[in-house]
Amino acid sequence: MNAEFEKLKVVTKYELLKQVRRRRFYGALILVVIAEALAIALYKGLNIPEALPIPIPDSPKLFALFVAGMGSSVAVLAAVFFAGDSIASEFERKTGYILFPNPVKRSTLVVGKYAACFIVTAVVLVSAYALASAALVGMYRQLPVEVLGSLGLALLLGCSILGLAFLFSSLLKGGMGATIATLLLFMLIFPIIRMGLTYSGREPWFTLDYAADSVSSVYGIPFAEMWQGPMGGMALMTPDPTTSLFVMLAYFVAPFVMSIWITKRREML
Amino acid sequence: MKEAIVIENLSKRYNDFLALDNLSLEVRRNEDVALVGPNGAGKTTALKVLCGLLRPSSGTAYINGVNVVEERERAISKVGAVVETPEFYPFLTPNETLSYLGRLRGMRGRGLKSRIDEVLKLVKLDGWSNVRIEKFSRGMKQRLVLAQSLLHDPPILILDEPTLGLDPRGMAEMRETLKKAREEKTVFFASHLLAEVTQVCDRVALIDHGRLLVYDSIARLKKKYRTSLEGVYLKLTEGAT
Repeated sequence: MNAEFEKLKVVTKYELLKQVRRRRFYGALILVVIAEALAIALYKGLNIPEALPIPIPDSPKLFALFVAGMGSSVAVLAAVFFAGDSIASEFERKTGYILFPNPVKRSTLVVGKYAACFIVTAVVLVSAYALASAALVGMYRQLPVEVLGSLGLALLLGCSILGLAFLFSSLLKGGMGATIATLLLFMLIFPIIRMGLTYSGREPWFTLDYAADSVSSVYGIPFAEMWQGPMGGMALMTPDPTTSLFVMLAYFVAPFVMSIWITKRREML
Repeated sequence: MKEAIVIENLSKRYNDFLALDNLSLEVRRNEDVALVGPNGAGKTTALKVLCGLLRPSSGTAYINGVNVVEERERAISKVGAVVETPEFYPFLTPNETLSYLGRLRGMRGRGLKSRIDEVLKLVKLDGWSNVRIEKFSRGMKQRLVLAQSLLHDPPILILDEPTLGLDPRGMAEMRETLKKAREEKTVFFASHLLAEVTQVCDRVALIDHGRLLVYDSIARLKKKYRTSLEGVYLKLTEGAT
């Protein structure tokens, strides 16, 4: 057990080294800086509080909702960027012929890879929230405690997306396929389910994209009502952060456990 | 147990294709055995099962008496393997890659570092130890493949076409390395190159369609069939096809 834990640390360390050596890590960090700067510029330049369908007074929480609220998108993109090819590439690019004939359990390899992906996703997310927090303190001399809650939920969302990406990566032949499948699930399949349920007046609490909105709903601002105008009543529901936390936890645990099970059984053909 | 490798009634089926058909053979400790046969004979499949990369459809295999199917990690802990034409992580250097693999095998500190230097020197990559592998040619990667298989000084080497992708000098150097290794290790290797087989091994297991056709010493086979190893190969595989 202890020896396997030592191996887990080794796998995590070198997987992390691989991740930070890739251009996509720095690309993700640059994208985050650009996105944050753009969000701040738009918030101020377009005077968002006044421009809302139902105008509300400017406040640090509204600013945080608008600027740090993109945490869910950052979590999704970062997780998919780093995790899509984690397992699939070992088979697709034949690196598994070097890694797998070693006395280390496949489950240890998957957990180590996951830990490394989570660390780089967390670095990108924390960078985004750090920039938003710096802007908050600079403009309002305040840092609402909800920012931390939002970050916590965004990190959990990252865990869920990583879990899904790992599941697809263990199932599919290629890393690109796993990346696309994860994005399609989150950006197409879940929204379709959500749309159908919302139109029929049912709360889509179990869909991951709805639960992801808790990253914003944690600020306690009724944003669904605020932005209802152009959506024709589509976004009338706001997710409960506590329910969403458990939903995201389930989307993390179930796919991740399945990905370990599949990888253990997958043959290196 | 005298046998380093035991393959027992091993069969492997890929959908309708039977890659291994009840294959059985034993390799004694410090013996050097070549697994030869035509393309698609089942050589790589057999080696993959031994390395725990494939699960057999039936039968089993043992390394140093440990069941590969049931205790994969323990069975392959004393094995150095080269399977197919593997790739390395392009963003890592040979030093980092070997350090990663060595640490997975429980090697640490100065011992690991000096062993890495030693094997990189052995495969003539010592001048490239800190260059990212993405800059390497196929031949250089193949040298590194051999280096990782020797890193933990395993008593058993399982090698699949180890000279593939090497230039003539590289092939000659690789054979020399294997000849040195065979003095103290069990070498079980698959190859198409019969001249290479003759230089590196004492015994040959010839398989076709996943079945064992003959398993004997090269000298005895030559004597029995009154021809070269190539002649034996052509004669036996012709009958089997």
